[in-house]
Amino acid sequence: MGSYAIRRFLTIVPVLIGISLIVFSFIHLIPGDPAVTMLGERATPERVAEIRAQLGLDRPLTTQYLIYVGKILRGDLGASILRGDPVLLDLVRRFPATVELATSAILIAIVVGVPMGIIAAVWRNSLFDGFSRMVALTGVSMPIFWLGLMLAWFFGVVLGWLPTGFRLGTEVTLTPVTNFHVLDSLLTKNPQALASSLRHLILPAVCLSTIPMAVIARMTRASLLEVLSQDYIRTAESKGLPQRAVILRHAMRNALLPVMTVTGLQVGRLLAGAILTETIFSWPGIGLWIFESIQARDYPIVQGATLFIATIFVTVNLITDLLYATVDPRIKYD
Amino acid sequence: MNGVRRLIGILVLAGLVLTAGPVIAQTTFIFGAEGEPVDLDPAVITDGISHRVITQMKEGLVKYKGNTTEIVPALAEKWETSADGTVWTFTLRRNVKFHDGTPFDAAAVVWNFERWRFTKHPQHENQEKVGKTFEYYQKQFGGFDDKSLITKVEAVNPTTVRITLKSPQGPFLNNLGMFPFYITSPTAVEKHGTAYGKNPVGTGAFKFVEWKVGQEVILEANKDYWDKANAPKVQRAIVRNIKDSSQRLAALKAGEIHGMFGLNPDDVKVVRADPNLQLILRPTNTTGYLGFNYKVKEFQDRRVRLAIAHAINKKGIVDALYGGTGLVATQFQPPALWGYNRDLKDWEYNPQRARDLLKEAGFPQGIKDITWDDGRKEPLQFWYLPVLRPYYPNPKEIGEAMAADLAKVGITVQLQTTDWAVYLDKRKNGQLSLYMLGWTGDNGDPDNFVCYFFCNPGASTEGFYSNPKLAEVLLQAQRLTEVKKRAELYRQAEQMIHDDAARIFVANNQPPLAFLKKVRGYVANPTGAEHFNTVYFQ
Repeated sequence: MGSYAIRRFLTIVPVLIGISLIVFSFIHLIPGDPAVTMLGERATPERVAEIRAQLGLDRPLTTQYLIYVGKILRGDLGASILRGDPVLLDLVRRFPATVELATSAILIAIVVGVPMGIIAAVWRNSLFDGFSRMVALTGVSMPIFWLGLMLAWFFGVVLGWLPTGFRLGTEVTLTPVTNFHVLDSLLTKNPQALASSLRHLILPAVCLSTIPMAVIARMTRASLLEVLSQDYIRTAESKGLPQRAVILRHAMRNALLPVMTVTGLQVGRLLAGAILTETIFSWPGIGLWIFESIQARDYPIVQGATLFIATIFVTVNLITDLLYATVDPRIKYD
Repeated sequence: MNGVRRLIGILVLAGLVLTAGPVIAQTTFIFGAEGEPVDLDPAVITDGISHRVITQMKEGLVKYKGNTTEIVPALAEKWETSADGTVWTFTLRRNVKFHDGTPFDAAAVVWNFERWRFTKHPQHENQEKVGKTFEYYQKQFGGFDDKSLITKVEAVNPTTVRITLKSPQGPFLNNLGMFPFYITSPTAVEKHGTAYGKNPVGTGAFKFVEWKVGQEVILEANKDYWDKANAPKVQRAIVRNIKDSSQRLAALKAGEIHGMFGLNPDDVKVVRADPNLQLILRPTNTTGYLGFNYKVKEFQDRRVRLAIAHAINKKGIVDALYGGTGLVATQFQPPALWGYNRDLKDWEYNPQRARDLLKEAGFPQGIKDITWDDGRKEPLQFWYLPVLRPYYPNPKEIGEAMAADLAKVGITVQLQTTDWAVYLDKRKNGQLSLYMLGWTGDNGDPDNFVCYFFCNPGASTEGFYSNPKLAEVLLQAQRLTEVKKRAELYRQAEQMIHDDAARIFVANNQPPLAFLKKVRGYVANPTGAEHFNTVYFQ
């Protein structure tokens, strides 16, 4: 297991180099002078020259890349062109909001998606199966942006039940500890902040969960159906085991493996989806920050955040692979 | 079964708790901003979002009055200028304190000017090192150190400051009214250094409380505000960052915020129709135009330019594509500026006249291809903006409408656009043949509109338009200090630009702000210097 983990970890290195190359090329693939783009109508020659020097745009490409990688290795992701703040500092500051949102979304996706998939598989071709297929299809194909607006409009404006955006109401004060609001509310024993945090979390989390939920539900169904047709299930059934035990104890354990892979892959989708969800719900995480930075053409942030998200994606997939052994004792890593 | 019931009971209870909306006390004014401030140090920023927040906390020596760009006293009670316009003496208000308790006096004013002006000032140099520049000082006062138009700033006594200029500057007071020249607490700047922008200290009606990054800036009423008549009527003000404009409107409709800026043009009518909302239009300070490239032989003929001026149905465009917030532009300056020429009669929309003019110019079949000065021939390209700007809220549709108008008189264009950076690059290098662009004024002074574009004859940035006589009038106006005389010159300049059909000014836009109906007292200013201290709830 240990040596597998190390080997598997080493395969990440070329992936990360590839990512850094792509992220580095961003700035050079966009047409026009990045300095002029960032400054807009009011670009003066002096300011353009300054930005060019700051970004090192006047040096050869290979030098620029090596300097870039060297800085990344030292934990220096550069500084925002607009605000001058170190990108890493902002990443650390905003990451908890995104993690809180993405975790809630994936939890909703699993809690709803897995049972939906199981029921659909067990009562295959039933009315519920059709319904779940419809829900899944809608979930996958509905643009998050539109869904978010509709959710906010209906629950926020029409019904007035939930806030249309943000992490906390203006009437609530919360002492930050970890910057995870739900956790901080519990740690500081602040029920008002807890209620406010949860109220604010519901709509964006539901909005973000739709695609992973649909994918997880469909994958659970397909995978379970495949397992249910296998001999050992028939044996279990013929032994007289109750259906519940057959499905949950025998079938699910095997059916869960592909579901896990897919769930791991959904993390990438969640982070991408967070860009839209956070923008719609003014959720102050990495997604909103990336969106604002793209609009402001603040390239160091776009580069740093992309690199960060890509690294997380790769890491989560590594963890998923390693988790296989826990779920399926037949898998051995030599 | 009992277990199920209990679970349902808990869920219902949780639902009730979670869906019970908070009651927001009406002592807090919450404004929905279209993004996050860049920095709260006025000297180093240029964006409107930071400007809005800073204006609540800080003040300059002078300010713009209400919904105009007229200059009135702020931290300076009065001022006088020498006969030649090079020495300005300001008398400061007494007993004014910064929020950190330090006194506002002549020494503080001198310190601020020195920080802006000298590149070797420690609090200037440190900003430059982290990539922040004193862009507006450089632009409005000619540069730093020896290049600066301001040559000396002295504290004559604790309440008198004397500023000496190299040469008279017409827009001097209007420049001083701009947000980059708000006076900040020297003690606070020295204490925080480059982090001052996150710990701002001024003399204004509101004090800084907290900036929650990515979320909001919280301010509280300054109980010791010197201007008792204008003391804040709310206890707190919060500026929330709501990037998406539809979402901002949703938050307003839900009552989570009380006011907002940056409505989609299509949402203007939604706000107008909603009995709980009200619309306030900011007096226009922005003009969208159609620029010619004078290296194109066809455009060197005034009759062709005039034909285009007669061909474009500006009113039709404004009525259909500005969401009810646009005005037909007749000249470069928007009507709120004191250099605006009210006697100027715009070229009428008259397609027949346009066709006649084209015939006279030798294009009876209209124009499809153009010839550049170097002999290159190509189809006539009409460039529209790839991004929304205040002066062109629907650039593609507006471009299409203009192209259709031109087609009616026989001018066939190919609509073109490109990435914003490339667009600006091409414009700067004079590579666009016929192009849409515009300007939003900085300080309400006509110089900032007209001279910025027409004081350098033949510049590639301005499509190589060369009119030395016009430039002379504008430079003369820049050197005078008497508003009456300057206004006369700007009116003359506008007439010259118009007579030459040097450029087609299409529309002015009045950026819309939306508020809950119960919000009262918000005064929209053309420069965006809008104060929350006058706001109250009915």
